[in-house]
Amino acid sequence: MHLLEVEKLTKRFGGLIAVNNVSFQVDEGEIVGIIGPNGAGKTTLFNLITGYLKADSGKVKLRGEDITGLPPNKIANKGLVRTFQIVRPFRHLPTIANILVALQSYRGRRRIEWIKTPERKAMEMLEDVGLSEVMLEPAENLSYGDLKRLEMARAMALEPELVLLDEPFGGLNPIETEYMIKSIQRMHLDGHTMVIVEHKLQALMKLVKRVLVMHYGELIAEGTPEEIAQNKKVIEVYLGKAK
Amino acid sequence: MPLNMATKYIRKAYTNFTTHIYDVPPRMLAFLILVILAAVPFAGINLLKLDILTAANLMAILAVSWDLLVGRTGQISLGHAIFYAAGAYGTALLFKYFNWPIWVTIPLSLLCGVGMALIIGIPSLRMKGPYLALVTMAFPLAITGFLYYFRDIFGGETGIRNLPKVFPSLTFFNRLIANYYLSLALMTISSIIIYKIATSKTGIVFISILDDELGAKACGINVTKYKLMSFAISGLFGSLAGSAYAHLMVGSASPSYLDFSNSIIPIIATILGGIGTIYGPLVGTYIYYLMNRYVFQELLPLDQTTQILLFIIVVLLFVIKWPRGIGRAIVEKLEDLEEPREIEEIEKERAKKAEKS
Repeated sequence: MHLLEVEKLTKRFGGLIAVNNVSFQVDEGEIVGIIGPNGAGKTTLFNLITGYLKADSGKVKLRGEDITGLPPNKIANKGLVRTFQIVRPFRHLPTIANILVALQSYRGRRRIEWIKTPERKAMEMLEDVGLSEVMLEPAENLSYGDLKRLEMARAMALEPELVLLDEPFGGLNPIETEYMIKSIQRMHLDGHTMVIVEHKLQALMKLVKRVLVMHYGELIAEGTPEEIAQNKKVIEVYLGKAK
Repeated sequence: MPLNMATKYIRKAYTNFTTHIYDVPPRMLAFLILVILAAVPFAGINLLKLDILTAANLMAILAVSWDLLVGRTGQISLGHAIFYAAGAYGTALLFKYFNWPIWVTIPLSLLCGVGMALIIGIPSLRMKGPYLALVTMAFPLAITGFLYYFRDIFGGETGIRNLPKVFPSLTFFNRLIANYYLSLALMTISSIIIYKIATSKTGIVFISILDDELGAKACGINVTKYKLMSFAISGLFGSLAGSAYAHLMVGSASPSYLDFSNSIIPIIATILGGIGTIYGPLVGTYIYYLMNRYVFQELLPLDQTTQILLFIIVVLLFVIKWPRGIGRAIVEKLEDLEEPREIEEIEKERAKKAEKS
């Protein structure tokens, strides 16, 4: 059984077909990349899978269980967690309390070993992403790179079965990007399954074994990074047609 | 005993640590204010004026419940008077039809407030910000019409009168004092309970909804549940204020409970004292009552127009001087005095941890 199955997902905004008949599977332990030009429908696809938008047709299955049309919080509690392209921290809360919110959800509460206080657990999660220095700072005082890491830690606090990362490298400088790549690799070694939408192809190609390419809402290619780099259709989409 | 000491140290460090996370201010201030308030009846003031402070105590409960809902959860309510009225009418109706003692009717009237809060809370699931504010403002107006229409049940303009007093056997002056202390006790208990909720893990989830609803959903938080919970708690304490006011002060439940001023005073008080702080509305309410009912009416006998004008100017000056609230300004001053010691302790804890690993 596949961990995530997306079957013929379609979403229309008026006359525009944002996601058109997209099907793909993700197996346990994989890192899958989704690339495509701006407006290709990648973020819409994420929103459909995680319940932020209602699909017009098609199905999403997590471990064979149909989760289409469930509200976002229920999907998160089933173990399918996402991050956002533009970070969404709780600005008034201290960094550590951002994690505590996630630990206060149904899934989060069940994941805490009984001997640990949630605060201790949250502290460990922050240490994993290197934010323990700013533990008690309000999140609004954090730099953008720190917020990205906080967003990641918050998603991991739910101990997800599958994480959807929406542009994890967006807005990061090279050093922060390198750090982010390392922490994603570490999470992968810990056995987490991930789907990554990304524009920075160089960073992405280091991470993934399999890439899906979207264009105008459709999947146009699938394969290893090397295959994709050679694919004529993909080159056309990114660079335009050769005359 | 070294082990005992270590436990103590860890517990203390842990308390300091959680104090920072949940934003708990120094407790000394609250204690000081409470002592002052408790001493008022013995300060030689005119006891007939004690009613003003009794009313202030009850209004403080309403203001604190408003702050939990609006300042912490971000569900704007411009019709908080409705909970006030729900409490008063709840206890009055139970008295009118069943003639039960107040120790039964007041607790049952709280359920009335909770029910009303859940009804108002339902639109909050679909609406946000100014739209929700308008809906909540419409509720008291609609209910006023409702009360006039069912005149037989609710008693029309005069309402339901001659509610039993809480201390019927005491003499007049002693009853004033007893009423004052009861209201003070209610205020203290309610604010402590609301404070405990606001600085708990549930309180943190409330703030996360205020900051970013979608983000909270992504964390697996059932936003619906927490929003309704916030409404229910707010309604519970709002109606407690209302039913206590009916029995302690006026002895009746009438449509005047739904006056717009009853929705506005909690807002003014909260903004004066500091929104989202829970202790701010307390500070704000007492400033409001002292200024409006005592300074402007007793010390400087002004006519009403001048009073209102002067009051608005003073409030504006306060808000310009302390935009984040007077209560918050005081607490930040106090925290500045305490800061160095706490940072040292946290650093010590970190050093100890570093040694271990």
